[in-house]
Amino acid sequence: MTNLAISLLIGVLTGAGVYLVLRAQTFPVVLGLTLMSYGVNLFLFVMGRLHTAAPAVVGASEQYTDALPQALVLTAIVIAFAMTAFVIVLALKARAAMGNDHVDGLHIPPARRTSGKPEEPRA
Amino acid sequence: MSANLISLLVFLPVALAAILTITGRKHPGPTRLLNLAGVAVLLVVSAGLLVTGTGDTAQVIELGSWAAPFGIVLVFDRLSGLMLLLTSIVALLSLVYAIRRDEDMAGPHFHALFQAQLFGLNGAFLTGDLFNLFVFFEVLLLASYGLMLHGSGRRRTRAGLHYVVVNLIGSTLFLFAVGALYGTVGSLNLADITLKLPQVEPDAVPIVTTAIFLLFTVFLIKGAAFPLYLWLPGAYGYASIPVAALFAIMTKVGLYSVLRVDSVMLSGNTLGGVIDTTALVAPWLLWLGLITLITAALGVVAATFLRRQVAYLIIASVGTILIALGLAAGPERELALSGALFYWIHTTVLSAGFFLLAGLLMRHRPQQGDAIAPAPPMPQAILVGSLFFAYAIAMAGLPPLTGFFGKVMILSAALESPLLAPVFAVVLVSGLVMVIALARTGSRVFYQSEATPGHPSDQPPTASRPLPGMGTTIAPMIVAALMVIGAQPLSTWLESTATQVSQSGAYLDAVMPEGILDPETAPGKFGEDHEGGQH
Amino acid sequence: MKAIELLAVVVLLPFLAAPVAAWSARFSRYAAAWVAGGVTTLSLAIFVWICLVQGAAMPVATSHAWIESAGLTFGFRLDGLSMLFAGLILVIGLLIVIYARYYLSPKDCMGRFFAYMLMFMGAMLGVVLSENMINLVIFWELTSLASFLLISYWQHRKEARYGARLALAITGAGGLALLGGVLILGHIVGSYELTDVLANGELIKNHDLYAPALILILLGVFTKSAQFPFHFWLPNAMAAPTPVSAYLHSATMVKAGIFLLARFFPALAGTELWVIIVSTAGLITFLLGAYTALFRHDLKGLLAYSTISHLGLITLLFGFGTPLAAVAGIFHIINHATFKASLFMVAGIVDHETGTRDMRRLGGLIKYMPHTAMLGMIAAMAMAGVPLFNGFLSKEMFFTESVRVAGDIGPVWLLPILVSLGGLLSVAYSLRFVHDTFFGKPDGDLPKEPHEPPGMMKRPVDLLVILCLAVGIMPALVVGPLLHVAVTGVLQAEPPDYSLSLWHGFNLPLLMSAVALAGGVGLYLLRRPIFRWHARSMAHLDARVPYNRLIELLMRSGAGLTSMVDNGRLGRIVIMTLVFTLIAGLVGYFHTAGLPEVRAALDRTVDGDPGDWVTWLGIALIILMTLVTVIGHRQRLFALISMSVVGLGVAMLFARFSAPDLAMTQLSVEVVTMILLLLALFYLPQQTRRLSTPQRRWRDGGIAVAVGGGVTALTWAIISRPFESISGYFLEQAVPGGGGTNVVNVILVDFRGYDTFGEITVLALAGLGIYAMLHNLSLPSSRRDPFGRIWSDDPHPLLLRTFTQLILPLTLLFGFFVFLRGHNEPGGGFIAGLIVASAIVAQYMANGIENAEAKLHLPNHGIIGAGLLIALGTGVVAMFFGVPFLTSAVAHFKLPVIGEIHLASAIAFDLGVFLVVLGSTVLILLNLGRLTKHAVAHPDYESIEASPASDSTRGGRDA
Repeated sequence: MTNLAISLLIGVLTGAGVYLVLRAQTFPVVLGLTLMSYGVNLFLFVMGRLHTAAPAVVGASEQYTDALPQALVLTAIVIAFAMTAFVIVLALKARAAMGNDHVDGLHIPPARRTSGKPEEPRA
Repeated sequence: MSANLISLLVFLPVALAAILTITGRKHPGPTRLLNLAGVAVLLVVSAGLLVTGTGDTAQVIELGSWAAPFGIVLVFDRLSGLMLLLTSIVALLSLVYAIRRDEDMAGPHFHALFQAQLFGLNGAFLTGDLFNLFVFFEVLLLASYGLMLHGSGRRRTRAGLHYVVVNLIGSTLFLFAVGALYGTVGSLNLADITLKLPQVEPDAVPIVTTAIFLLFTVFLIKGAAFPLYLWLPGAYGYASIPVAALFAIMTKVGLYSVLRVDSVMLSGNTLGGVIDTTALVAPWLLWLGLITLITAALGVVAATFLRRQVAYLIIASVGTILIALGLAAGPERELALSGALFYWIHTTVLSAGFFLLAGLLMRHRPQQGDAIAPAPPMPQAILVGSLFFAYAIAMAGLPPLTGFFGKVMILSAALESPLLAPVFAVVLVSGLVMVIALARTGSRVFYQSEATPGHPSDQPPTASRPLPGMGTTIAPMIVAALMVIGAQPLSTWLESTATQVSQSGAYLDAVMPEGILDPETAPGKFGEDHEGGQH
Repeated sequence: MKAIELLAVVVLLPFLAAPVAAWSARFSRYAAAWVAGGVTTLSLAIFVWICLVQGAAMPVATSHAWIESAGLTFGFRLDGLSMLFAGLILVIGLLIVIYARYYLSPKDCMGRFFAYMLMFMGAMLGVVLSENMINLVIFWELTSLASFLLISYWQHRKEARYGARLALAITGAGGLALLGGVLILGHIVGSYELTDVLANGELIKNHDLYAPALILILLGVFTKSAQFPFHFWLPNAMAAPTPVSAYLHSATMVKAGIFLLARFFPALAGTELWVIIVSTAGLITFLLGAYTALFRHDLKGLLAYSTISHLGLITLLFGFGTPLAAVAGIFHIINHATFKASLFMVAGIVDHETGTRDMRRLGGLIKYMPHTAMLGMIAAMAMAGVPLFNGFLSKEMFFTESVRVAGDIGPVWLLPILVSLGGLLSVAYSLRFVHDTFFGKPDGDLPKEPHEPPGMMKRPVDLLVILCLAVGIMPALVVGPLLHVAVTGVLQAEPPDYSLSLWHGFNLPLLMSAVALAGGVGLYLLRRPIFRWHARSMAHLDARVPYNRLIELLMRSGAGLTSMVDNGRLGRIVIMTLVFTLIAGLVGYFHTAGLPEVRAALDRTVDGDPGDWVTWLGIALIILMTLVTVIGHRQRLFALISMSVVGLGVAMLFARFSAPDLAMTQLSVEVVTMILLLLALFYLPQQTRRLSTPQRRWRDGGIAVAVGGGVTALTWAIISRPFESISGYFLEQAVPGGGGTNVVNVILVDFRGYDTFGEITVLALAGLGIYAMLHNLSLPSSRRDPFGRIWSDDPHPLLLRTFTQLILPLTLLFGFFVFLRGHNEPGGGFIAGLIVASAIVAQYMANGIENAEAKLHLPNHGIIGAGLLIALGTGVVAMFFGVPFLTSAVAHFKLPVIGEIHLASAIAFDLGVFLVVLGSTVLILLNLGRLTKHAVAHPDYESIEASPASDSTRGGRDA
């Protein structure tokens, strides 16, 4: 039951992330990526299975959870943090360089725009 | 001794990166020199290790003195050695160009990021641990983000944004794949996983295969296979020239991971005693390679400026290599792999040089840049034109240059395969298409010189001094020539390398001599049982 | 060393000389010519010597391994056939060099010309002398490349560029086909050495792969020798300087295809497939070429098509597949080479001296250049097949053969009639060549006043023409032995007996010749009406049109398909990636899910899992907040806040499921991330504009649900089954080996310290990358906050300032504490780093960046670098003790307050981590905050949105 619930949570986080990444402006993309990282960090974490009251500190309790995934998640969190920081600043640079916050540097909605040359969307 | 030299290949770049971070902003001159020296050392050491045959048997370094699978191991064999050598060659070319052309001044921390990039690459080529591979993918990616955005410009920023976002998704996927493997097989070390695959319980088998396919998807994103290469034309086409040249090695990281994981983990192994994994992914690689090659050839036709054309040529070479890797599951494994490696060296070095050549065009054709359009003749037009001709021949796979020989090896590896017909058709026809496209480029850019009455051939070859940085476009051609002349020793060496890659048994013995260890009773540091690790 | 080894020298010498020729041109105009001539003579001398030494032992071959595994050797062979061709190439090559020396105008760059010429010569020699088939293909493609360079020699001319690219495309395609064919052929035989291939004719012809091999090889042959339907590149190649046309497009390169037919004659010829394809192509080409030649007004055009026609004739002969036909074919190769080369040179002389090659303008030149006219006439008569000239003999043989085999191919009468028709046409165009040029009178005046050319320009022609006569009059004596040797080389066996005499008595072939002669003259006499008829009905037919369409199609479809796949949009890239991933996952799953063993095992009991309704409620809340974030994402500040709630929830879950370190890290990261995102949001639009159409949102939603579903399924499938991992080891070894009780931290700094090292490098890189990105970047910022209120002007309110100053020491102390206990209790360098960093950032916020920097001057780059070096150093120190990188040492001692600790050397490593985290975080936040200095306050965005963006990349100029 908890397994199912947490699997569902991980799925929702990832799916929500995907949906936001597909929004064509930088800020939602950043939010999406952050949600995705939440999802995958949880995923990595539960790979050690769920244990309550069993921290992996020698002598702190009689049974221990799987410590390795936790270490991996720590690494993953840090890297995710670095990436988020980088990409949000990149979003600022993009806005400065392209004059707007559209991921393709476009003004009018792609839906209404007739396709042009790949390397030259209008700015 | 060799162990320390191998470690040096990872620690020198990162140490330099740290130092250059500090010196970078205040003392540009020494920074350049340090960076150059560092790259030179990497080149010498990696070449030396290969020449002295250090990699002939896999060398294993147990970091922190923790035996695999509990600690992280570095594994140095011929394959990883070759990759390190290639990395340092490409790095040297790109760095020299950057310095001669002051491209490194376009923004802060170029040199620190450059060395960090090498750290990531070398780490990825050397590690024997899947999660550590993820970490080093992140290192080399973040460094590449920095380099990609080096300098500025609207198109470059946009391409960079796309590149970053796609690779962040790729990294997420990587974690899912590795996590799923850990959650079922219970290990992260490549060799350990390999040994444990046969004991996977039947009900976990589908999960494991899913995880494996996801893992290869990640590698193929980095390796730029269809339809995952869409980030590449933009990223390579708009990065600053030396960075684009350095990136010539980036797709190879993905392909290397494909080759390494496939040959160690899958070929000749079984999964839960239920299914033979030798042909689990290889056939898919072959088909992907075919499609990639076709679409890339069309991209070469469609490109409107040279850097983009080269980018698509790189994708085409990825397709060719994937075909070879797919064929390697067939009867002619050694030949296919050695062909793949021959082509691998060729495309890495030459596409780097080709980008640098495009850079010369951009610098010396003020209006048109590297656009595939006529322009007033540039200085050194004849030499540059001849170089272009040579690069075009080589990349399109025409004799007498390296591309042809790689293709011949790969094609003759296909002769035994049931897919003989499609492989021949696609490889040969796409080659023709690229020849036509490149001939068009050449005649537009170099023959159709506008606003010059009379013959362009009038200008004597000594019209102007050699352009700065030109040497970096000539050097790869020399490498190619040497590869052709020395094809016999090179191909035999590559063949035995292919044999080493194929014999995963040796790899496993080197990494885990005692086979699978029981966590509870396994010896600790320095093989001691449960007593502390002082020294 | 055996003489045969010198063949390699003969082939490579021209290649080596090419750059010398190009370089020598600097010194004098004619140096290049001298180099070329000298080298050719030298090669010729060596070659003759080899023939004299080895002649008796032919065929002889030698090869050295090149790429053994692929069967590629660097090998050459000498037999009759290769001897004949090599001889032709060298001799005619020498004559052409002499001729070109006088032909080229002062404007032309001699160096390039002769360099290309030598390259071509070498390639051609390589083709005919190769022993290894792949080796042959290499030189084969080289001839295509060299001819590309030679045809485009006058690169400023459009037609030259077009002709060159056309030739390259067609012959290059043929070369690739040939490569494929040769590989298959070698695969059949098990060797790429011609010696083995030629010896295994039967094996090859009975193999399943015979047909594909044959067809691919024939593609190579037909494209190179301009056989229908690939003939059209040759006339366009005439844009090349005349010496090139004379050499490549009459005597040598176009003969390469024929050579290949002869070369593989024993291995491939004789089957029904061979006869059908080869003879059909040959016959059509023979007639079509002859017909078209008649209507060409340009001298070289006429010669080009007559060449096509004669190549067709030879192809047809080989198509018959009989030994005697082969004899005739070889004989005609020799004759055609002589008379066609001389005709081209004559045309060149006329062009050179009159300034035009248009037969409608030319005429009556015999008055001005009798000598040249004489040469032209003799050669033309040879081409027409007039008795006493060499062309006659081989044509007689050709007629004889066609009569002999006529029965096998179609009705008995058909073939003789068709070939006589071809002969008739060739008589007609030969006559026209002579008459329209040298007789009649020129209409209008010529561009130049014509006169005889310099003597040396005629000598080569003299020589060839004398040959034509000599062969024509006393064949057996002049050409007999050579022919015999050559034919032996072709058949790899004693040739059948044939007679080389002028007179075979009255027979059908003689009659056919007569008819051809008479008819040809007649046709020429009533040419005017025929020309008119042709102009009306046929003239517009041009084989280039479909080719151009094809190329056009390729270009357009290439561009179209590419932009269809790669439209340069992020959305496209992401969707492609996700969809591919989904498919890959499904493929991977169903690859094995169907297996019976797996099916049997799948229904296992899910082992019980911990948790209670509180947990479930918590999870439900997090899910809810996630959905809220998505739904409300267009209000950015709101979305940010709700997302931070999700982050907190995740931290709670970590805590709930016994991961205190994760919880602490997640929390501290959460805080810093939020500060970061808030700072960034200050420079971004506060709302997300709705850009996508409903259907697009549905599509994205679909993909999102699919991905999410997949992830859920995967997670559940994994965690609801038991597993055992390697991590028991870490519990066992944490204290004895790692010197710490907090297993997670020990893993981070010891067991997998290398990961952590990479991780902090990533963080440092992020810091540097961000610094580089923000480096002199200026951004517009809104003067109002998301709710439209004016931002407070007071940069650093007193309350905040005093408060932060109050808590600074506390936080620093706390950070230190967390850092030290990290190894045994939850905590560690990373968290400590973040805590201290946030404290310092608070200082900056409170006091404003300038004042703060004045107070505490943090050299962040230095801190980052130092951190990395410390971490690295602690690892490297170990290596001096002869143990691998990162091997830790442990010491035990007591401290007041904190108590007994195992101070592992890993602590030093953790210090490095601490410093990097501190440095990078401060660097990032600081520079982001600094933006406010550059930030131009802007009433609204839209004016910025509209302002054109700067662009320094040159990339798309063409776009």
